[in-house]
Amino acid sequence: MKTFIAAVVALLTATAASSHEWTPSYPQFKPSFMEGIAVTTMTIFNRRKDISYYEVSVLDEDWNPVPFASTRKLINVEYLERQNVEIYLREVDCDRVEYICTTSKILERDATSSGVDSRICSRV
Amino acid sequence: MFRIITAAAIIGLGAVVSQAESVPITGNVSSKCSIYTDVSGVYGNPTPDTLSTIPSDGGVYPVVRYAVTSADEFIAKVSWPNSFASAPSLTDSVVWDGEVTVSNTSDAGMSGYEAAKVEYENVTEYDLTVAGSTWFQVESTVEYGFGKALPGGQYSANVVAECIAK
Repeated sequence: MKTFIAAVVALLTATAASSHEWTPSYPQFKPSFMEGIAVTTMTIFNRRKDISYYEVSVLDEDWNPVPFASTRKLINVEYLERQNVEIYLREVDCDRVEYICTTSKILERDATSSGVDSRICSRV
Repeated sequence: MFRIITAAAIIGLGAVVSQAESVPITGNVSSKCSIYTDVSGVYGNPTPDTLSTIPSDGGVYPVVRYAVTSADEFIAKVSWPNSFASAPSLTDSVVWDGEVTVSNTSDAGMSGYEAAKVEYENVTEYDLTVAGSTWFQVESTVEYGFGKALPGGQYSANVVAECIAK
């Protein structure tokens, strides 16, 4: 009986769980095809059913924003989808970049979804 | 005739079998932090001017799980809400309070997390020094005005769960 209850609890927990992944944890910038511009590729994996948008931010050690370019700063990532995101940065800014983060964005109409904003920051 | 048919069938089967190919599965284990929303929180309304996630008040604690694949590489920051994401129009002051606590761990080495946590404003920081999963539950209470009842409607507020590489 205890095993059965444990199995049901485990199943419910596994079904309810959803997550957000942002890798690599320690990215490195390398020269891009444009002179003076560095690039790194990050990967986002969305296992949150209640979220389909994530915002990318690039920050210095004091959490101030650093200018960057990407195909999208607000990424539409559907449930169980994995996407690569290229982050372009001026080479002069490479030394002051400390974090590259993604933050989940809850649509206003889904504000009652899970009540958790997740943010994962990789360190350069 | 039967021999010819049998031989043809064997050749046919051989051809089918020879079409089978091995399908590789590749994977990569690297340093990674995942944030899981295991339980969505619910506010109870124990008195007309209070909302609370405490179970004895009729609420449900939101539970967030952090899973890290490498020891000592990430910091978890969990913040209890200090504003509503959506609420009816409020005309009086709202007082927020909260508490974040470790509710479960996957490794005995994480037993010191609660004692070592750092709290400031509405943020609680944990140094994730052991690889594995840690569950955090978030208590959130809201008190409205002075002896005023909260207006009827839907209220929601968000916990912020951050995982930052060291």
